[in-house]
Amino acid sequence: MASAIRPLDPLAADGRWWRTAGRLYMAVGYFFLVLPIVTMIVFSFQKGQFASIPGQGWTLQWYGKLFADGTLLEALRNSLIVSPLAATGACVLGFLAAYSIHRFRFWGRGAFSVLLVLPVLIPPLILGVAFLGLLSRIGLQGQLLSVILTHMVIVTAPAMAVIQLRLGQMPSSLEEAAWDLGATEFQTLYKVVLPFALPGIAGGWLLAFTFSFDEFIVAWFVSGFEQTLPVAVYAYIVGSVDPSLNAVGSIVFALSMLSLIGVELLLFPILLSQYRSADS
Amino acid sequence: MAEAAGGGFSAMKVVGIGVPLVYSLTFFAAPLVFLVVLGFWLVEDFQVVPAFSLENYLDIAQHMFAKSNYALAIVQSLWVSLSTAFFAVLACYPMVLAIVYVAPRSRHRLLLMLAVAPFWSSYVLRLFSWQILLANKGIINSGLAWAGFENLQFHLLYTQIATRIGLIHYLAPILIVVLYVTVANIDRDLIQAARDLGATRWQAFRRVILPMSRTGLLVSASFAAIVSFGDVLSGALLGGGVGSSVLGSVPLFSNMIMSEYASSTNLPRTSALAMILVLVMVLMLAGGAALAERGKVDVG
Repeated sequence: MASAIRPLDPLAADGRWWRTAGRLYMAVGYFFLVLPIVTMIVFSFQKGQFASIPGQGWTLQWYGKLFADGTLLEALRNSLIVSPLAATGACVLGFLAAYSIHRFRFWGRGAFSVLLVLPVLIPPLILGVAFLGLLSRIGLQGQLLSVILTHMVIVTAPAMAVIQLRLGQMPSSLEEAAWDLGATEFQTLYKVVLPFALPGIAGGWLLAFTFSFDEFIVAWFVSGFEQTLPVAVYAYIVGSVDPSLNAVGSIVFALSMLSLIGVELLLFPILLSQYRSADS
Repeated sequence: MAEAAGGGFSAMKVVGIGVPLVYSLTFFAAPLVFLVVLGFWLVEDFQVVPAFSLENYLDIAQHMFAKSNYALAIVQSLWVSLSTAFFAVLACYPMVLAIVYVAPRSRHRLLLMLAVAPFWSSYVLRLFSWQILLANKGIINSGLAWAGFENLQFHLLYTQIATRIGLIHYLAPILIVVLYVTVANIDRDLIQAARDLGATRWQAFRRVILPMSRTGLLVSASFAAIVSFGDVLSGALLGGGVGSSVLGSVPLFSNMIMSEYASSTNLPRTSALAMILVLVMVLMLAGGAALAERGKVDVG
């Protein structure tokens, strides 16, 4: 970081001391932010059940144990069933809602969007109790389906937000042209709107997937014995100290880094781009 | 065109509005309404039976200050969540100021990406990581001893300080993004003008940047307080359920709800406790809003 002095930067003109302090603070802050992640990755390869410094040598035994044991892997499999389905459901609901809000003027339009965003503002603990209350009345508790249905409620809002951003960038002339050329409502949606919204849907899907994949307390209440990964990990941590958890953590982190790259490629361009001209 | 974009009923409109609406009413609104109702129901012979009884609430009221001591747990929750919100904002705000005013603009995106990275790793597993870091013979303490600081040992795990560390680590990425949006949008010409007129760096901060960050600071602080108040994981895994604080070894109210349900599976009673949590949270927010409003009057 060669600090060229830029006269346009009002706080940086001559404040070498401030700049040094700022850099130091950033270094400490980023150290704090990455510390647990680095710990997790490093100690998943370390011998010794109780992590300490200096290390006790390198090993792959925890990964071996993880794959031999199977409880956490089964939970991971459950999560890999639940989260993609919940994210897909959330994208269907989110797209329908975002498109309706974008296209139509109707009575209660404001209330409609508030209703769909509200679940993210209510503490998941409350939602967990509430979901279990209703689901257990209709015999839907304790299955993967219960987690999928309830996660859809929670992750629709983030998916919808991204899709709305994308639809907001769509020039209205695009749809009008399709209608003028004789396309039906459905054809316009399918051939014009959906392709345009696709990056938004994909970005929303990834965001929804990530939220669902990491969600704990709602899944804890409604999943029963069909534990998702966070629920199984929680049970594991409460029961014992096992570096296999570091191995799971590292695998999950590698997975989420992949989705992070996806988000970087799909989501950021949408968030950062301005209104596109009609030719896009 | 006018016909297609206008009002009236089309199949598209019915499906587009109807499907999300029905889903939301069935799986979101209905459970919340039912939560209120369920608080008045009872459990007989391990079966939930419909009733209209105040028994759950009366029983909780009786234990407010005795045995389970809900009141103390609520106070502990308020204390931990409000102080967490305070320290989280206090830690993240300078970080954002450093990103915006010290780092070159071309690096901002990279720095934000890096700040958000922890958010994409699992929260539960990050807490496990904090456990092995903070444990009495954990990485931090053994590392300090190894480096020759045998006398500098921290006993943080299973205290509410550890709870706060876990929460702040969880909240930081979100707060950094929210505050970045606020601070990055402050017009630099205003700061330049203040400096040209002879304000010191501190005065420019105090009189220009800080007042203009007000909304962002309030939003992120209330967000942090709500999330911390409703969170169960950090309190359970780092606070050890009954983490000690200046108030003594008292569990958070949220942890109490979770562990009571785990041991009794008494859903009506859990619902009643959840309603109390909602009530306290609404009061907390209303109090915060009133304070913010008063602060505004004082400044302006």
